[in-house]
Amino acid sequence: MQPDERNTIDRGLTTAAPLVTLRNVSKLFGGVHALDDVSFELRRGDVVGLVGDNGAGKSTLVKILSGVFGPSSGEILIEGERETLTPPARAQRHGIETVYQDLALVSSFTVAENFFVGRERSWGRGPKLFQIMNRRSMTSTAASALESLNISIPHLKNRPVERMSGGQRQMAAIARGAFWGERLLLLDEPTAALGVRESREVLELVSQLSQRGLTMLMVTHNLEHLWSVCNRVIVMRRGRKVADLMSSETTMDEVVAYITGAKGPETLSSE
Amino acid sequence: MSSSLTEASGLKSLLQSVLKPASARGSRSSGLMRLLGNYGTIFALVIMIVVFTIVEPSTFPTLGNIRNVLTDMSLAAIVAAGVTLPLVAGDFDLSVGYVASFSGILVVGLLSNGQWPVPLAIVTAIGAGLLIGIINGLVVSKLGVNAFIATLGTGTLVIGLNYAYSGGMPIALTHSQSFTEISLGQFWGIPNLILIMATALVLLWVLLNRTVQGQHIKAVGKSPETARRAGIAVDGTRVIAFAISGTCAAITGVLLASNLGSGQVTAGDGYMLSAFAAAYLGSAALHQGEFHIVGTLIGVLTVAVGNNGLAILGAPIFTQYMFSGGLLVIAVALGSVSRRYAA
Ligand SMILES: Nc1ncnc2c1ncn2[C@@H]1O[C@H](COP(=O)(O)OP(=O)(O)O)[C@@H](O)[C@H]1O
Ligand SMILES: [Mg+2]
Repeated sequence: MQPDERNTIDRGLTTAAPLVTLRNVSKLFGGVHALDDVSFELRRGDVVGLVGDNGAGKSTLVKILSGVFGPSSGEILIEGERETLTPPARAQRHGIETVYQDLALVSSFTVAENFFVGRERSWGRGPKLFQIMNRRSMTSTAASALESLNISIPHLKNRPVERMSGGQRQMAAIARGAFWGERLLLLDEPTAALGVRESREVLELVSQLSQRGLTMLMVTHNLEHLWSVCNRVIVMRRGRKVADLMSSETTMDEVVAYITGAKGPETLSSE
Repeated sequence: MSSSLTEASGLKSLLQSVLKPASARGSRSSGLMRLLGNYGTIFALVIMIVVFTIVEPSTFPTLGNIRNVLTDMSLAAIVAAGVTLPLVAGDFDLSVGYVASFSGILVVGLLSNGQWPVPLAIVTAIGAGLLIGIINGLVVSKLGVNAFIATLGTGTLVIGLNYAYSGGMPIALTHSQSFTEISLGQFWGIPNLILIMATALVLLWVLLNRTVQGQHIKAVGKSPETARRAGIAVDGTRVIAFAISGTCAAITGVLLASNLGSGQVTAGDGYMLSAFAAAYLGSAALHQGEFHIVGTLIGVLTVAVGNNGLAILGAPIFTQYMFSGGLLVIAVALGSVSRRYAA
């Protein structure tokens, strides 16, 4: 039985089209195949861990889903409809939010400002030049969104995020993603730069969001972290998808074998 | 495309090392440096005011002289506040001086040679500045040309336009003497120039700090790629910043022509340096190395108070050049220190 089918059968009651479908997506940078014929489906409520060696194409995959760049070939379907996701503003309109490995927040802005950057609330219509920001509304919404996730960040309306801890920044970035991301939240190595305690907080937040039914795709190097929150694992190697498994039906050893290439790709073609 | 974001020409990296030097937090002297970066300009301004007040108590600290200082700085303040926007967005606009000269020549030419009505001539000259600003923005963002080079290029083009239009000769104001009233007139005893400066500064402050557009300009300046990923139209944001800068430069050019009562071919050229000196001085005032409107105002005031004091002391004219030039160097240094020790 193929992993993708297993996944579908697990969620056999879902008759609607998958939330997101990637079909034969490739991405070339010059001569480098950052992504090579990658296909998979994300179903509502999936929490997928995306793993692979450095340079395997994980960040590229995230950036294609978040509209940073388009695929060189292949197609992306959102609930069965073929869609273009670039530029990022369009992916956002499709309810896809991203917490980038770097560049997640504007460092000189407060948490409240970052919550709404690019989507500021304002009085007045017409050109942005004439729209006066409604800071009070943005601040109170950001505060209650954080509160509803039990995240406490002091000074969220008057301290620039560059003066906050990495953990606080990451929690704020994820909370923002969860606030705006109606369909899918992409997390690129959310625990990479964090200490043990801060990582645990981030993972608790991710599993809290998963319990609320948010669909997520999380890039990580840490299989412990992956197992603690993800129900499914996709392994990338040299731009290709080499495994797509339910985490309940595989082991860390098997995943490591796929990552290193000790175990080869299964037949994964969907046709 | 984003080639301008990733391009790494030697000049650009040199400029960026000035604009955004590597962080050097945690050193022993950082406390003092931060103080200097946050309050250096204000400190210098206060010292000058105190010294001039002690040395020239009967002429310097008088209402009449304060009025002089504010009137004298009004034109520089408008250009300087204008260039602050592209600076906040992360771009240099070196064309402002030439734009000011050109719009001054143009407005007098339209009035004298074309006999245009005053409002129409003014709107056209300011519109020319707006247009040049938009072109600057498009060249920088869409073609990915480094802003330093691009605006030097368009600025030189504007010099060409200026000479083509004027033949390199000043244009006298032969009609519409009422045009000079704009800069010479008063309202409730306050010179029009001060009122126009105040209006421009308030509008630009509101724009940068209260509007959605201003927020996007700040985000783009901090990190264009973060802004883009947050869904901000980065190119359009940069174009708008340049457009505002060009408009402000043209307003200054028109006011200068009104003040001089003629169009002088190179009259506005010097505003480029004074604007950058002010903006850099301003970046070492209060906001830890950020460019901001209030800072720029403090910067302009510092330059103006210095020049005024030197003039009152009867210092020869060369000292004023040396003061302005020296101040620019100190300003850039202070601004850099301020950024380096920020946060
Ligand atoms: N913007 C880019 N330009 C050129 N090559 C890139 C770019 N982004 C990624 N690559 C290349 O694509 C491959 C995959 O990179 P990436 O997706 O960042 O891997 P991962 O996140 O799994 O470490 C690498 O060989 C990398 O050098
Ligand atoms: Mg990566």
